[in-house]
Amino acid sequence: MSTRAGVEVDAMSPWTAVRVVAAREIMVKLRDKAFIGSTVFMLLLVVVATAIPLLLGNQTPSLRVAVQGSAAHDAVELATALGREAQEPSAEGTDVSSVLSLLGVGTLPGADLTTVEVEPGSDVGRLVRDGDVDAAVVGDDLATLRVLGAESVPDEVALLLRAASTELQVAQTAERGGLTTAEVQALTSPPAPTTELLEPRPTGSMPPELLVLAFAFLFYISVLTFGMSIAQSVVEEKQSRIVELLVAALPVRWLLAGKVLGNTVMAVGQIVLVVGTGLLGASLAGQGAILGQVLRASGWFVLFFVLGFVMLACLWAVAGSLASRVEDLQSTTVFMQVLVIAPFFAAIFAIDPGPTQTLLSYIPFTAPLLMPARVVLGTVEVWEPYVAAAVVLVTALLFVGLGARLYEGSVLHTSNRLKAVQAWRSARRTGA
Amino acid sequence: MRDEQAGDAGDELTLTGVSRSFGDRLVLDDVGFTVRPGRMTGFIGANGAGKTTTMRIVLGVLAPDAGRVELGGRELTRPVRRRFGYMPEERGLYPKMRIDEQLVYLGRVHGLGLRDARRRTDELLDQLGLADRAHDQLHTLSLGNQQRVQVAAALVHDPVLLVLDEPFSGLDPIAVDAMGAHLRARADAGVPVLFSSHQLELVERLCDDVVIIDHGRVVAAGSADAVRTQRKGRRLRLLVEPEPGEMASAAPLAEGAPTGLSAFLEQVPGVSVHSQDGLRVVVDLADDADDQALLATAQQHGVVREFTPLVPTLAEIFREVVR
Repeated sequence: MSTRAGVEVDAMSPWTAVRVVAAREIMVKLRDKAFIGSTVFMLLLVVVATAIPLLLGNQTPSLRVAVQGSAAHDAVELATALGREAQEPSAEGTDVSSVLSLLGVGTLPGADLTTVEVEPGSDVGRLVRDGDVDAAVVGDDLATLRVLGAESVPDEVALLLRAASTELQVAQTAERGGLTTAEVQALTSPPAPTTELLEPRPTGSMPPELLVLAFAFLFYISVLTFGMSIAQSVVEEKQSRIVELLVAALPVRWLLAGKVLGNTVMAVGQIVLVVGTGLLGASLAGQGAILGQVLRASGWFVLFFVLGFVMLACLWAVAGSLASRVEDLQSTTVFMQVLVIAPFFAAIFAIDPGPTQTLLSYIPFTAPLLMPARVVLGTVEVWEPYVAAAVVLVTALLFVGLGARLYEGSVLHTSNRLKAVQAWRSARRTGA
Repeated sequence: MRDEQAGDAGDELTLTGVSRSFGDRLVLDDVGFTVRPGRMTGFIGANGAGKTTTMRIVLGVLAPDAGRVELGGRELTRPVRRRFGYMPEERGLYPKMRIDEQLVYLGRVHGLGLRDARRRTDELLDQLGLADRAHDQLHTLSLGNQQRVQVAAALVHDPVLLVLDEPFSGLDPIAVDAMGAHLRARADAGVPVLFSSHQLELVERLCDDVVIIDHGRVVAAGSADAVRTQRKGRRLRLLVEPEPGEMASAAPLAEGAPTGLSAFLEQVPGVSVHSQDGLRVVVDLADDADDQALLATAQQHGVVREFTPLVPTLAEIFREVVR
């Protein structure tokens, strides 16, 4: 036995075989330019998505306001102060005077107002028309103040001015009635009642519907791209005939399991990377609240993601094995594409809680999208996600079995395209 | 001692009564032959005769409908088959994977540990003169080099049996020699080697044993010499010089006779002339024909300089049996 060259061949365990196959899938993906490209693209998308609201949110408009008359002067002065105050984070929501709340104004917008004093008698209208100022305020009496704009008056100016003039008039009237400064203060800025939630909904700074959509979209993209890549990897092995070498050494089921495992790892990895980048970006941008919110929701999302992905992955492999060349993939995967796209749109249309959503959250294809969504929206009993997860798991096991059998029946059939029925029949005839 | 289950070089491969049909088409009918260790066995047959199906059954890629395949008298299991080396007819490797990586992968799939797989890959690429292309993708290599990688893929796990489907197709003569030398080296190391080929002269030159298959049935099997000598003696080559006097007396022979000699010999029962080239005549003898009567007749005609039983080439046997 001098020829053995010291090579030891162990009886291989299924797990070793599956790992070896999965490792190749992962390695090929990591070298795949299309995969790297799409990952980078998704990361960029996430970065842009977190950066843009940040930029927009921080952009305080700077506005020039022309002033003519004493009352106008007072009103704009107060409006400027209010606009500055509204930019401070602590001011948010709490410092709105009750008067404004009564008026239904709500939170005041932040703005930097610059006052341009205009001599009495000058043509204020010309300044506005020429665009030297964004608006002009004219008047010696608070009751008859006029605000001039070219085509429109900026919302910030209108709102701030309205608030300021109201506050001044209330104060004026109160003073005339003989109230002290403290009384006037109490009248114009009474303390607001504090709000206390007894059963707070798990919401953060991001609307839960948006979170659900984001996850649904990620799931959809991921299943579609990785499903296609599983199918491609299968047909590549079939077309290059290497599958004969592999099947001679490994049971077909191990091969299938390795492919599904490798691609699942990559899909989950990609999702974690993309979501992680988004969360990191959000917390860097000072929106830490989103972080906790997403993390709380992500447990069920990830579980359903993995179950849903595995459920469909085996069928994608079958779709690949029914083709004999890469060119056939389009036609053999049509069914799978429908199986991914239809539930996605069904889930989007059922985003509002209701009987439809409840029903769909138990159907295996839509459950991975809608059950975690219901958890986030808070319309779910504690036991419900477990039941739905079990339903998806059972379906996944069924599909894995079905997929393995069809794959066995078709993967060695290299001459032409197969129908699923033929694959089912021929499965019994191979040695695998 | 090695794992008893895994089989060792030195065990012979035996097929017994193997049949297989696709639909209602019988592709293999009671196929049986032996591939002996230390010998190269050529597997010959026309297109569609059942060579590839037989090889796939040996590898376990297809299951037989009936019959047994054994190595050293033991039924084949997956762990044993995992130690077989196989080169499929339509070459199978990943076109866009580095060649060293796919060899390591195939070694792993065949049960090698990572370190062994790497070491064997390096050794083989070195032996095959591909060490400097180790990091290249397969599809960037020339056809001949791709074929060499394919050989490496069949050898990487140091197989106990080699099964190669048309390993020489598409190779230039130099590459054919190199491939032949590789296979011979494996056979000399005690590995049974079975390969199919259409190039009969090549099989003749390289093989110790042959198996000829026709329409799913084995029509001849055994050592190449035995197969050939089994069929010798039914064809003879004669060189008969006419005597000078005879020449003159032969002149007035009836018109239309091919030559005097041929017509003369065909008078012997069971003898038919196959071809004639000047004074040389090749004749076929029927099973009941008497070669001594033929000799006597030839001697009447002239001086017999040559009377040789012809050993047919494999190509001739092949054409005859698959006709």
